[in-house]
Amino acid sequence: MANDTQALDQTTAAFALSAAITVLFNTLLTWIKELSEPFHDFMAALTGHHWITQGLVDVIVFIVLGYVFVRTGTAARMPATSLVNTLVAAVVIAGIGLAGFFLVA
Amino acid sequence: MSDVVLLSHPIFGVLGVIMAVWVFVEALNADSANAGRIRSAAYAVAVLMVLAWVLGGYWYVNFYGADRALILAGPFPWAHSLVMETKEHVFFITLVLALFLPIAARANLAANKSARAMVLVTAALIALSGLAVEGAGAFINFGAKAALAQAGA
Repeated sequence: MANDTQALDQTTAAFALSAAITVLFNTLLTWIKELSEPFHDFMAALTGHHWITQGLVDVIVFIVLGYVFVRTGTAARMPATSLVNTLVAAVVIAGIGLAGFFLVA
Repeated sequence: MSDVVLLSHPIFGVLGVIMAVWVFVEALNADSANAGRIRSAAYAVAVLMVLAWVLGGYWYVNFYGADRALILAGPFPWAHSLVMETKEHVFFITLVLALFLPIAARANLAANKSARAMVLVTAALIALSGLAVEGAGAFINFGAKAALAQAGA
C-alpha cells in the first residue's frame, strides 16, 4: 500500500510507532489490571478510578514514546510500509486481545 | 443531567467517525486544493474523540454503576461482562489513533504516497473501531432494557 520511495517524516514515523506500541500496551495493561486486584486498586487510587488512570497513562505513553522516537530517529529508519503494517497489525492484535480476554475471563 | 451526558458521548463519537470517513475520502483524492480540509478534519476527529472520552468517562465513572448492577442481574449479563468491558478498553485504541491522525495529516499527502497510506489506514481504523464501540453501546443499552423488562419496570 505504502510507497517506500517516499519516506514518512520523522515525527509521523515516530508517533505511528508510538501509537502501535501504545495500543498493545493498553491491552497488556488491561490484562494485568483485570488479573491483579492489588494492581487494579492501585490504578484506582491514583485518580479515583482505574479507567481514568488507564486512559491518562495511555495518552502519556503515546506522547512520551513519540517524543523519544523523534529524538532517537528509531522509527524514521523503518520503511514506511513496515510502519503502516505494524500499526494495522497492532490494532488488530490489541482489539482481539481485549475481546478474547473478556470472552474467556 | 446524566441523560445529557449519556446521549452526548455517543453523538461526539459518531461525529468523530463521520469526520474520520471524511478524512479518508479526502485523502483518497488528495491534492493541493483539499490539503487544508484534510488537516482541519483530522484535528476535528481528535477533538471529537477527546470530547467523547471525557463525557463518556464522566458518565461511566459517576452513573454507570447502577446500570452495571441492573445488567448483571438481568437476562444478558454478558452485555456488561463481555461487551461493556471490551468497549471501555477498545475505545482507548480509537482515542490513540485519533490523537495520531492530525500528526499524520500534516504531510503533503498529494506528493507523498506513504504519508497518504498512513492517513488512509489510520482514518479507516478510527472509523471501524469507532463503529464497533458505537455498536457495543447498543448491546449494552439492550442489556439494560431487557433487565428492566425482566424486573417488570
